[in-house]
Amino acid sequence: MSDTSTQRQGRSLAGLIPSIDFSAPRHRAKFGYLLLAPAVLLMAGIIVYPILLSVNISLQDVRIARVGATGEPWTLKNYAWLFGSSEFWHAIWVTFKLVAVVGGLSVVIGFATAMLVNQKFRGRTAVRLFVALPWAVPEVVATVIWAWMLDSSFGVVNWSLLKLGFVAEPIQFASNPGAAFAAVCFVMIWKGYPLMSIMLLAGLQSIPEEQIQAAKVDGAGPWQRFFYITMPNMLPVVGVTLVMTTLWVFRDFAIIHVLTQGGPIGATTTLSILTFEQSFEFFRMGQGATVGVITMIFCAIISRALVGRMAKSVH
Amino acid sequence: MKTLRKTAISALLAASTMLTALPASAETLTFVSWMKDEPGYGDWWNEIIAEFEATHEGVDINMSRVSRDEYANTMFTMFAGGNPPDIVHLAAFEFQPFANEGWMEPLGPWIEKAGMDMTDWAGQSTCEWDGETVCVMLLYTGFVLAYNEKLFEEAGLDIPTDWESYLDAARKLKKDTDGDGINDQLGIALPFVGDASVMQEALNYVLDAGGSWTLDGEPAFDRPEVIEGLRRWKQLFDEGLTPKELTSADVRQFLLEGRLGMTVDGGWINNTFRSAAPEVQQHLKIAKSPFTPPLGGTSNVLGMPSDISDEKKQLVWDFIELTASQKYQQRFAEWGKTPAPRPGLDYTQLKADNPSFEVLAAAAADAAAANVDRLPKGLELENNEVVKIFFNVAQQMMIKDLSPEEAAKILQEEVTRIKG
Repeated sequence: MSDTSTQRQGRSLAGLIPSIDFSAPRHRAKFGYLLLAPAVLLMAGIIVYPILLSVNISLQDVRIARVGATGEPWTLKNYAWLFGSSEFWHAIWVTFKLVAVVGGLSVVIGFATAMLVNQKFRGRTAVRLFVALPWAVPEVVATVIWAWMLDSSFGVVNWSLLKLGFVAEPIQFASNPGAAFAAVCFVMIWKGYPLMSIMLLAGLQSIPEEQIQAAKVDGAGPWQRFFYITMPNMLPVVGVTLVMTTLWVFRDFAIIHVLTQGGPIGATTTLSILTFEQSFEFFRMGQGATVGVITMIFCAIISRALVGRMAKSVH
Repeated sequence: MKTLRKTAISALLAASTMLTALPASAETLTFVSWMKDEPGYGDWWNEIIAEFEATHEGVDINMSRVSRDEYANTMFTMFAGGNPPDIVHLAAFEFQPFANEGWMEPLGPWIEKAGMDMTDWAGQSTCEWDGETVCVMLLYTGFVLAYNEKLFEEAGLDIPTDWESYLDAARKLKKDTDGDGINDQLGIALPFVGDASVMQEALNYVLDAGGSWTLDGEPAFDRPEVIEGLRRWKQLFDEGLTPKELTSADVRQFLLEGRLGMTVDGGWINNTFRSAAPEVQQHLKIAKSPFTPPLGGTSNVLGMPSDISDEKKQLVWDFIELTASQKYQQRFAEWGKTPAPRPGLDYTQLKADNPSFEVLAAAAADAAAANVDRLPKGLELENNEVVKIFFNVAQQMMIKDLSPEEAAKILQEEVTRIKG
């Protein structure tokens, strides 16, 4: 009974596409595209549609946009506001500072810890677990804990610094611009370096042992082996991890929102915080979407530049 | 196999019979509020929901909680996504953008049809938007002084009645009780985290100095009275009388822990005393605010979305009418320990049971008489931006020692700019 129905189904499917023989070499690619089509369509729905929606809203002079409602006529008013707004240029400056500090230090710490846990020593598994731990903690949970720890009145960080005599009075992490920026950088690095470490460790483990052995036979010292064997082999991985960290810092919202809400006096207002602020606090969704679109363009350019440069450099 | 098939068919039949037996008009009204499970107000909502469901067979109210911090964003997303809650509960300072988009049903015809008299309903005028009544005001509160009587007695101080005595008490109540070099008892504590709380706190001093944020709907931040108010507020921080990184919740917590001498807060503070330990609670009292006129303001409103079905609108209106009824307004005062907005309620028993209640009622009346509202008149639509601008300038006053005059000038320029 069931066999007959399967045969009938098979015939009907074949009947739908009767002229294409997918087993033929020239049609194999088409079969691949056919199989990929559902995923591509789904991705288009999930990724492309919201992007188009954002671009559409950014071109409308609208306070609150509603999905499915008739839109306002297109205008460049929001873009004119954006480029003439000191808040936007300040947010770009803060974002790039954050990317440079968090990205740079995360690579250094990630590389160092990756090299450490790549060595053979007793307790290596435990150390690897310890290195990866911050990455495993949910971002908001970790940030709320850090917010408590960094609280100027009741936080354990200030208490420890005072008790150890490192500071004479509590550091005002929420009301001192420099301290707030440093706190955000610290928590982002703490949260971000383990992923770099894990990815770089995978990269280190893929370096052919023969190259290192050959270099040793040729008399290369540890630093020479690092600069002439390890680094060239690692550059594509470093490139990818840098791209991922850059994009993460660019779009990260939770850590800054929970710790400082972008303050004080805009010291930690990044492009993602500005997008949220305009859209959801000031109900100026057109302006918020404009910041979002510009952020997306920045991310696309940076990703392309970093991936291209790093991938080429290994050759 | 045969038995299994029979069992399955019987189960399906039973299920379909049960489903058909359910009332054909089964309806669920969605209701989002930050007050769910809140002691006092949350209990009041539960009572109303229970009565509504009992009197509307087949209609359920699905109440869910969203925290106050995320509330405006959540409601914004729900409305913008075309899926607003059926019963719309918003803060009085945040419903305007929703009304401005035409998303809130005009309630005028419903009020008229029900024959409700909204004359003298406290704060109801705030619910007028673009010539329409779009909500019903649920609370108008006057600010009072909540204080720890024991700390005042130990310091030999009288309860402050004006700015000078308030400042004097703030200085004298602050002390290091255990000698570890850290002041663990404070005279006052002002919020400096949470932009809306900061602007609201500063308004106490501005009102007392004779100023207000707007005059005839126009920004008035650079008037001498406002500058004087800002100077007083800044002085409290400059003298180190209050820590700089507190939220309003932290301030209340200090009071409930018995470590704070006094704080000026809305009528709801009376309701929070029940969270204090008994040995502290017995010393917590309410007195008239030392500032004249006292700060006051509309608190939260109830309305309905304009694009739900007529059947649902009727149900939501029934719910709103129930909350506004004499019975539930009376219960509101009992649960919340604050006067309800409906006029003509009998508070005799409440005043006898709780002496603070009279002070709260007088504060609300005084603030209403002086036409005071936390929400700056004329800046309703831009309120969140104004609050943010104020917060940034306030931070500059502390971090960069910006003078009150400079602060007022920036505020006036910035607010005038966004108002267009």
